[in-house]
Amino acid sequence: MRLPGLLLGPALLVNLAIFIAPMANLAALSFHEARPSGGVGPGPTLATWASIAEDEYYVELVTGSIGVALGVTVLTLLAGYPLALFIHRAAPRWRNLLMVACISPLLVSAVVRTYGWMVILGDTGLVAAMLRFLGMAKPPRMVFNLTGVVIALVEILMPTMILCLLAGFGRLNASLEEAAASLGAPRWRVFTRVVLPLSLPGVLLGCLLAFVLTVSSFITPKLLGGGRVILLATEIYDQAIVTLNWPVAAALSVLSLAVFGLALLLYGRLLRVVEA
Amino acid sequence: MAGTALVLEGLTKRYGTLAPAVDALSLTVQPGEFIGLLGPSGCGKTTTLRMIGGLIEASGGRVLVDGRDVTALPPHRRDMGIVFQNYALFPHMDVAGNVAFGLEMRGMKRGEIAAKVEAALDLVRLGHLAKRRPKELSGGQQQRVALARALVIEPSVLLLDEPLSNLDAKLREEMRAEIQDIQRRLGITTIFVTHDQAEALAMCDRIAVMAQGRIAQLGTPHDIYEHPASEFVADFVGRSNRIAGHAADGRLNIGDLTIDAPAPVAPGPVTVMIRPHRIAFTAGGAGWNEVRGSVRRVTYVGDVLACEVTAGGAVFLVEQPTQPGVPPPEAGAEVCIAWRVADTLVFPRETA
Ligand SMILES: Nc1ncnc2c1ncn2[C@@H]1O[C@H](COP(=O)(O)OP(=O)(O)OP(=O)(O)O)[C@@H](O)[C@H]1O
Ligand SMILES: [Mg+2]
Repeated sequence: MRLPGLLLGPALLVNLAIFIAPMANLAALSFHEARPSGGVGPGPTLATWASIAEDEYYVELVTGSIGVALGVTVLTLLAGYPLALFIHRAAPRWRNLLMVACISPLLVSAVVRTYGWMVILGDTGLVAAMLRFLGMAKPPRMVFNLTGVVIALVEILMPTMILCLLAGFGRLNASLEEAAASLGAPRWRVFTRVVLPLSLPGVLLGCLLAFVLTVSSFITPKLLGGGRVILLATEIYDQAIVTLNWPVAAALSVLSLAVFGLALLLYGRLLRVVEA
Repeated sequence: MAGTALVLEGLTKRYGTLAPAVDALSLTVQPGEFIGLLGPSGCGKTTTLRMIGGLIEASGGRVLVDGRDVTALPPHRRDMGIVFQNYALFPHMDVAGNVAFGLEMRGMKRGEIAAKVEAALDLVRLGHLAKRRPKELSGGQQQRVALARALVIEPSVLLLDEPLSNLDAKLREEMRAEIQDIQRRLGITTIFVTHDQAEALAMCDRIAVMAQGRIAQLGTPHDIYEHPASEFVADFVGRSNRIAGHAADGRLNIGDLTIDAPAPVAPGPVTVMIRPHRIAFTAGGAGWNEVRGSVRRVTYVGDVLACEVTAGGAVFLVEQPTQPGVPPPEAGAEVCIAWRVADTLVFPRETA
């Protein structure tokens, strides 16, 4: 093995010890059966997997989580895309400033931001007060339900989305838009035929990350969901910590890993299409 | 010829508080005319072109197409084909897709588009590369795609920003002829930006020589070359001997020499300019300026003989086609050189 290969060694070892091995352990655990009061039966058995597959609740949990993640992803994209485009087109001396402004929320942890949203979206919060002021007698409930979770997740994921979009806007430049306009394309066609196709690599990357981060999000649905919004990560937590059903928690973890794997696979496929 | 008249009226572009990049530029282009914008780098050629095409807003002035004011129109409604200095090909479309784009925007039918694209690509000799992506092409090939893309929409005005700068000498010559042919045949009013004076002289009906955002001289290639309006134009277009002198009593003093001026000149310091190839190794006669000097250096390149001749404290570069059987003069030889008085260009010199 040549030197560059050898240099990978230490990182590989560390990864093996603290990442791959526990994952393998986790996967193995899903082939055991839970015993009452937190025990784990002898394996291997497919009982846990069978119970998950048969239970309507888990099927809905997985499809529901994926659905929520897709929704949040699309909303984050819609919210982040115009901002990213604006930053990309800004004069260089403004660009850095705008970038920092956009990314600065990352300095505050998701926990703090979630609590912030609880205050803002709460029944006596800013948004409700505003709606009442505008004449709405009974503003909709926005905390401890899906609405609040989605709003907060979109906001929390926006900096990440914008970073991804900007990273993928490399092939976009003003002279291409000018060329399209000079060839007779009105602004919306410049957008659909030139800007959008060229920004797709960034869109894909941003969507992949937003999707994965939503599926694995825990704090926000836990706090803002008020126990009513159950996603894969919150359920894994409940199974492992509350119910003490480790095999089910392990199986759900493997499932979410599979969802990530599928998302990654899809991403790779689509990327090859849009970059071709 | 059905063409479009293009008029620029006091077109101005200011960037911040700097000196204007284009300064009250006025130009009337006849229908179907091929006009060259010639000037050194940074003189405002691209800026002018972009204002005509509507890609940047003019700070002042108007653009008229067939008498209609288009200054406020967005680029997609101006019907102008633009070839950009950096090509600006769409990287996500193949060559055929790039060329087809403008036709699609015009709502043309698929079959018709395919035929036109094929014809346009044949015109620039790229038919065999229709399925390639721009990044898989050489610079010259990209440039030709850009040209085909602008031509295929048969615009009323064609704006070319140094469209030949990346081609090799042979291809450039071919493309020159090609562009001229197409332009004549379609009768498209064309503005051709270049900093290559030979290209401008060879291709354009008229040339606008630009300096610092203004037109220094507008005229036919012959006018510009034979009767440059200023020292700058004479220096930029073609090559010249450039000699400091002094005008007195209607004649010109260069060092110890006294020569005739082609027209009456006001007394004072002047710059005298003479094209090297207009000076010959002969004794002059009536209507000629003649000086005696000695050969300082000889450069013989087969078809052309270049000599530096010192005379009366000045150095003259003389260029002549070589003659059969006549050996080149040797360094140090005494020679007599002469040129027509009419070929003497005289410009008043600002004293610093
Ligand atoms: N966006 C801009 N901001 C400030 N100054 C600019 C801008 N664009 C161009 N300029 C200035 O305007 C002047 C004219 O530029 P322009 O691009 O028209 O030159 P050009 O004649 O096309 O030169 P070249 O032959 O190098 O392409 C230059 O001095 C340039 O620095
Ligand atoms: Mg230029």
